[in-house]
Amino acid sequence: MSAPLPPDGQTVLRDETAIHDLGYRRYTGVHIGARGAWRALYWQGVRAMFGLGRSAKAKILPVFVLLVSLLPTLGMLVASSVAGGVVPMRYGALIPSNLALLALFVAAQAPELLSRDQQHRVLPLLFTRDVTRASYASARLAAMATALFAMASVPLLLIYFGEIGLAPKPSETFARMGTKMWPVLLQSSVTAITLSGIGAALAAWTSRRAYATASIIGAFLAATAVATGLDDLAGVSARTAELLDPLRALRTMALILFDEPTRGMELDPPGSVWGYVLPLLAMGAAGATILQLRLRKVSA
Amino acid sequence: MALDALTVAIDAGITGLVGANGAGKSTLVKILLGLVDPSSGSATLLGHDVVADRAAIRALVGYMPEHDCLPPEMSATEFVSWLARCSGLPAGASRERAAEVLRHVGLFEERYRPMGGYSTGMAQRVKLAQALVHDPRLLILDEPTNGLDPAGRDDMLALIQRTGREFGISVLVSSHLLGELERICDGFVLIDNGRLVRAERLGVLTGETGTLVIEVDGDADAMVSRLVAMGVAAQPERQRVLVQLPTGVDDDMLRQTYDAVRDSAVAVGAGLLRLERRRGHLEDLFR
Repeated sequence: MSAPLPPDGQTVLRDETAIHDLGYRRYTGVHIGARGAWRALYWQGVRAMFGLGRSAKAKILPVFVLLVSLLPTLGMLVASSVAGGVVPMRYGALIPSNLALLALFVAAQAPELLSRDQQHRVLPLLFTRDVTRASYASARLAAMATALFAMASVPLLLIYFGEIGLAPKPSETFARMGTKMWPVLLQSSVTAITLSGIGAALAAWTSRRAYATASIIGAFLAATAVATGLDDLAGVSARTAELLDPLRALRTMALILFDEPTRGMELDPPGSVWGYVLPLLAMGAAGATILQLRLRKVSA
Repeated sequence: MALDALTVAIDAGITGLVGANGAGKSTLVKILLGLVDPSSGSATLLGHDVVADRAAIRALVGYMPEHDCLPPEMSATEFVSWLARCSGLPAGASRERAAEVLRHVGLFEERYRPMGGYSTGMAQRVKLAQALVHDPRLLILDEPTNGLDPAGRDDMLALIQRTGREFGISVLVSSHLLGELERICDGFVLIDNGRLVRAERLGVLTGETGTLVIEVDGDADAMVSRLVAMGVAAQPERQRVLVQLPTGVDDDMLRQTYDAVRDSAVAVGAGLLRLERRRGHLEDLFR
């Protein structure tokens, strides 16, 4: 045999084919239907968000975002271990840089899920299967939210467990810190829902990935600009202006959740955390609705 | 919309959907698939209404679109098994089915490579494979030979024919090339400008017509006048005599017509070279 052997058992398969061509066979196995189809779309989406199953080039950005978001976390852990674990971790300090990275992540990766299928015209193949326009939209959105949740929570979880692990008396610290778990999870979920809603609503409008990425980054920048502009206007409360900028609202929400107020927040207390959680979730829900409406119309 | 009050019933087997570009073939296909809602009227596929029973139809129909639909960075194996899962097959079964149908369409080693590097012929095969992977009862193929060279065309047609004949899957195949459809189809539907022109089993068209073509060695014109005098509908066509056989009559009457042909040939001293029923061609539709 002159041909090089493939790494796995494909040789056996090929030889069988050559000897007896089985041709076409009926499929008599089980059908798991729409649920299975949704899961296939969802997992393929989660993998695509991280560039898995894609070329090495597609992995650059997810890996970059993950590494850069972990750097300050690792820095804090190193500092804490040098100091003997007595320095309390500042969760809030991680938030601004991580939010910027997450915004970049969603801008770059949301089009991977929603624009690509339009660009390569895969939608007609999906919509003639056990995939409806509504289930497609929900599976893609859920995949984005899952990936964003992972990206948002990993640095926070790392310092959470790091703080407990490095403390001189871990059990004592855990007793004090146990209640910090829910802020970590709430912050990560609200971030994931809000950012994926915004990213999905924008990415679904175009089959061109570059346009989609630009429109998402543009939307975040515009929101920041508008909110900053409104700050200076009389008659608009700082609170209202802040809620127009999702990244800033998420940051303030984190500072309330982790009880690490800034000087400004001490002078002007921002009120209950739900005043941020609910508008941010509403923003995510609005994004999901826009995505659904868009997909109802997208040509297949 | 591109279709205008089109009413047609399509039988099992391989059916050609014929029409010039822009005649409404793709629109009809999209309505049948439930990708586009008809603005009025209804369509039934394998006993299911295309609007009300969309879910039931999806398991029964495989669709090969006319346009490119292959993500370039995915391999054929990945893509086809992913689409099998999107048809509701379990993950393990999807991988097996994908390997099987890719082999069926003749894609071997290449199936592990990213599809961006495929030739048109390979891409068309993958498109056919994904339409077959969930074992549909009806295949809807939109211009499957588009962009293929003559050899690729032959391969694709043979593959479609084999799939339709040997595996009991009905096929609706659209094309603007009549010659192709004539080779593989049992029936055809001709639409033009969104209207139905004709729908027929192929045999009706390319089968024997009621015209008898007689090639003679001698005076064809004299033979025609002799035949007409005997009460037979005949006309000359170059060196041939065309006789319109009476329809809806018994064998005795037909025999009388054949006798008249023989007698007239004897009478004018012409030799009979060839005697055959004229066969129809799909192209006749366009006349």
